[in-house]
Amino acid sequence: MAEEPESALQLPPSTAADGEGPTEVSPETATPEPPSSAAVSPGTEEPAGDTKKKIDVLLKAVGDTPIMKTKKWAVERTRTIQGLIDFIKKFLKLVASEQLFIYVNQSFAPSPDQEVGTLYECFGSDGKLVLHYCKSQAWG
Amino acid sequence: MLSVSMEEDEFFGEKTFQRFCAEFIKHSRQIGDGWEWRTSKDCSEGYMCKTYFQIKPGTVVSHLGTSAHVQTCLPTEEALELPLDDFEVTETTTGSEVIKYEYHVLYSCSYQVPVLYFRASFLDGRPLALKDIWEGIHECYKTQMLQEPWDTITQQEHPILGQPFFVLHPCKTNEFMTPVLKNSQKINRSINYITSWLSVVGPVVGLNLPLSYARTASQDE
Repeated sequence: MAEEPESALQLPPSTAADGEGPTEVSPETATPEPPSSAAVSPGTEEPAGDTKKKIDVLLKAVGDTPIMKTKKWAVERTRTIQGLIDFIKKFLKLVASEQLFIYVNQSFAPSPDQEVGTLYECFGSDGKLVLHYCKSQAWG
Repeated sequence: MLSVSMEEDEFFGEKTFQRFCAEFIKHSRQIGDGWEWRTSKDCSEGYMCKTYFQIKPGTVVSHLGTSAHVQTCLPTEEALELPLDDFEVTETTTGSEVIKYEYHVLYSCSYQVPVLYFRASFLDGRPLALKDIWEGIHECYKTQMLQEPWDTITQQEHPILGQPFFVLHPCKTNEFMTPVLKNSQKINRSINYITSWLSVVGPVVGLNLPLSYARTASQDE
């Protein structure tokens, strides 16, 4: 993943409130706004066209899961949930026996092959997709 | 009106189970996802179930229609009048089978959580072995499951139907559901336990919930 951490620019606290959920965004009306410049590192030219634009993803921890120091990431639309899970697991240095789950709407785990772009179209708001992640030992 | 709060209800009872299933099925009906409610003979217990069919692709074989062989002899007037269909190239898929998948969601009194039962069979009733079902599983789970499937998946008798099913063991359900539940309490949003739980465990055994369930998974109180 071409993550562009923007540690210099954090979301202001008021917009990072818990409980924020997606507004009713229907796929037809949700033309995603271009990612804010904060999520794209300088010097990277995004190719023209919506399909190439990255999605702003905001990752929030649930439960005892460690909080990621960088929460906001620019993610390619075609990145799958599984890809995101693998990335977070590495980032948090989880051990093999630990599972990581990602939720939209703080309640629903999308299928592992679901694409971030699709999730953004359904659940994104304010130009970003909020995903909650939670670690657990679910199996075995 | 049920006055069970989520705080008391991390281990939820059968009535709450049924309530969540009813809401889940309501949405399933709206989107044609095929889930139904079934009750035991004495109607004291019930469960949710879904059946779907999948064609397991086999090998595609092309060959000429057999009637073409008949036409290698001298063409007669009769032959020339035969419809062109007889000379068509036909394709058959050898080895392709239709597989019936069944998923049942039951309530476990001992664990006080929902449990996923599943099985797969060919149309003639021959059951699929667990290792054959794995082919439908997402890659990310395969490695894990192949290493320790026996801890997680057992074959048991369906409590109501009395037939053998594979069961995803419920012992870890609370472990991954509790943070989600606690979070929902914190933000004052009720969640449908069944929807959340099934969205997590379903993909492990090849059952993926359409995204529209996510909208119904939680609502502001």
